[in-house]
Amino acid sequence: MAVAKKGELLLDVRDLKKYYPITKGLFRKTVGWVKAVDGVSLQVRKGETLGVVGESGCGKTTFGLSLMQLIEPTDGKILYNHKGNWVEVNAKTIKGLRSEIQMIFQDPYSSLNPRMRVRDIIAEPLAANGVTNRTERYDRVESLLKAVGLGSHHMKRYPHEFSGGQRQRIGIARALSVNPSLIVCDEPVSALDVSVQAQVLNLLKDLQKEFGLTYVFVAHDLSVVQHISDRIAVMYLGRVVEMGDVEQIYNAPKHPYTEALLSAIPSPNPDVKDNKIILTGDVPSPANPPQGCAFHPRCPYATERCRTERPELVADENGHSVACHRAEELMLKGVDVGETA
Amino acid sequence: MLTFITRRLLFLPVVLIGVTLMIFVAMSFLTPAQLVSAYIKSPEELKNQSVSELVVKYGLDQPIWVRYINWMKNVLKGDLGYSVSANMHVTEAIAKRFPATLELAIFAVIPVIFGGIWLGTVSAKNHNQPLDHASRIFAIVGWSLPDFVFGLIILLIFYGLAGWFPPGRLSVWADNIILSGDFVQYTGMNTIDALLNGRFDIFLDALRHLVAPTITLAYLWWAYILRITRSSMLDVLNKDYVRTARAKGLMERLVINRHVRRNAMIPVVTVVGSMILGLLSGVVIVETVFDYKGIGLLIAKGAQQMDYTLVLGTSLFYGVLLVLTNLVVDVLYAVIDPRVRLE
Repeated sequence: MAVAKKGELLLDVRDLKKYYPITKGLFRKTVGWVKAVDGVSLQVRKGETLGVVGESGCGKTTFGLSLMQLIEPTDGKILYNHKGNWVEVNAKTIKGLRSEIQMIFQDPYSSLNPRMRVRDIIAEPLAANGVTNRTERYDRVESLLKAVGLGSHHMKRYPHEFSGGQRQRIGIARALSVNPSLIVCDEPVSALDVSVQAQVLNLLKDLQKEFGLTYVFVAHDLSVVQHISDRIAVMYLGRVVEMGDVEQIYNAPKHPYTEALLSAIPSPNPDVKDNKIILTGDVPSPANPPQGCAFHPRCPYATERCRTERPELVADENGHSVACHRAEELMLKGVDVGETA
Repeated sequence: MLTFITRRLLFLPVVLIGVTLMIFVAMSFLTPAQLVSAYIKSPEELKNQSVSELVVKYGLDQPIWVRYINWMKNVLKGDLGYSVSANMHVTEAIAKRFPATLELAIFAVIPVIFGGIWLGTVSAKNHNQPLDHASRIFAIVGWSLPDFVFGLIILLIFYGLAGWFPPGRLSVWADNIILSGDFVQYTGMNTIDALLNGRFDIFLDALRHLVAPTITLAYLWWAYILRITRSSMLDVLNKDYVRTARAKGLMERLVINRHVRRNAMIPVVTVVGSMILGLLSGVVIVETVFDYKGIGLLIAKGAQQMDYTLVLGTSLFYGVLLVLTNLVVDVLYAVIDPRVRLE
């Protein structure tokens, strides 16, 4: 992991925003905005895995899709290090960058075209990105299928003939087909059985080593994220509230929201007494976020200042950043994860 | 697949017995004297014998099942009976009139399928934009306008006012040529026969007579296909695999044609199947409005004259057609959607 840290910057996201209009009435007048992603800035280094966590509706998937330009961001910049040159990722440039940035989707059941054979699903991005020779494409498909643990006998089959785990392997092979550097994984294992989750995660790790991949790994499952990530960004209501190395986040969280998330990880040891921090209330609506710190209505440590003033994301000398007024004074409880592999 | 087709074909006689039995039961509400009128070709026949003698002669005093079995025996011999209203055998009448209806159906189906699917695609691509609204209004008008009203409007404008597209199938001069010995009727479809005989003038004349009924039929079904395609396309456009296709870096045109439309075609095929059947059988009104001598007009006239041999015979014919069309549609499903297995 220390090695990965030294990698050069690959992705630089600056103040990314995605607002959805709320329309009303006959003429669809815009009466407000849902701030799905509200000013996210983060960097990803070559070869590392950045985990993006948060509960449902916090904007993590929107963030991932914006990186791919599958959703057009409202504002902000996405800069991508294309062989030493910084390129801004937008609707125009993404066509040329599709072979650099790829995505693995959440639901392996719905994200594969039911009318296409596996070999065509995987070969199609190759054709779209300039591999005109069909035999060459199919050869590549064959080697990709082997790389993800499937065989050449699967080439002519249709997606419905596969199990969920196998389908996700097809999805991974498809993402890998154009030989990308960065892969955005949008909850790639959340639709799978726990036993299959581990297989797919290990496959992703192996592929990362083999092909030198960089991952942005979006998930809501903290144990999954811990298993695969080098660094983690915690999102709440469209914003990053805490970001740091896995050890920093898990052992010594600085944001009360992170602490509550960590306390909710189930322990396999029945003798360990649960000390779950149960957050009261629901996630506030992103259309109408609370004043001040967005987390303050649910935060057990909230003060008057939290209600009025919004905290900025501030990094300490170890690169551990947090957006909380009381980060210095609070002694928050983490979980013991030890060294991550 | 082959076992599936065989099984469905084995089912065919069951359907046909059901259809004809129902009509037979309906016919039993007529008195024998009414039924016998179907056998009387001219008033002269009544000179030598009374109606009651004829009733006995044709077995109409027999119980209904005996009559049904007798009718069935003749059908199995290939004899559907004599139609008084058409003044020929029912088989002959069908053979003569069906090509005309088929010709009209073919001319209507082609613009309907291609135009409807194309408009539906355009509509879905421009969802909730002016183009979409325009095509939806076009569709709603087409779907809610009764075909006899729309047909009469077309007739009024294009024949009554402009004089371009006359009713009927051919002009008198062309009809005379066709009925003369020099013209060979290969298919019974005037446009094709004209081309095969090298008579381009007759081809154009036949085409001129086809335009108005084709427009009438096409508009109605256009609306339907357009709406089905549009909603199906919108449904598929939101599917995850379409997002995947975009992520692959495909051009939008390919995303729409290869990923969206192919998957959106599954419900459309169902509709097209019933549409073709509808065009082949239910064009009674349009054929009447335009005096187009197809099978629809034949049935309409036969039914008015209580020509039950004709009604029974054509029902049998359409029963066969229905089963075959449904079979083709079911087979097409399996071709279109690999998830469908025919068993």
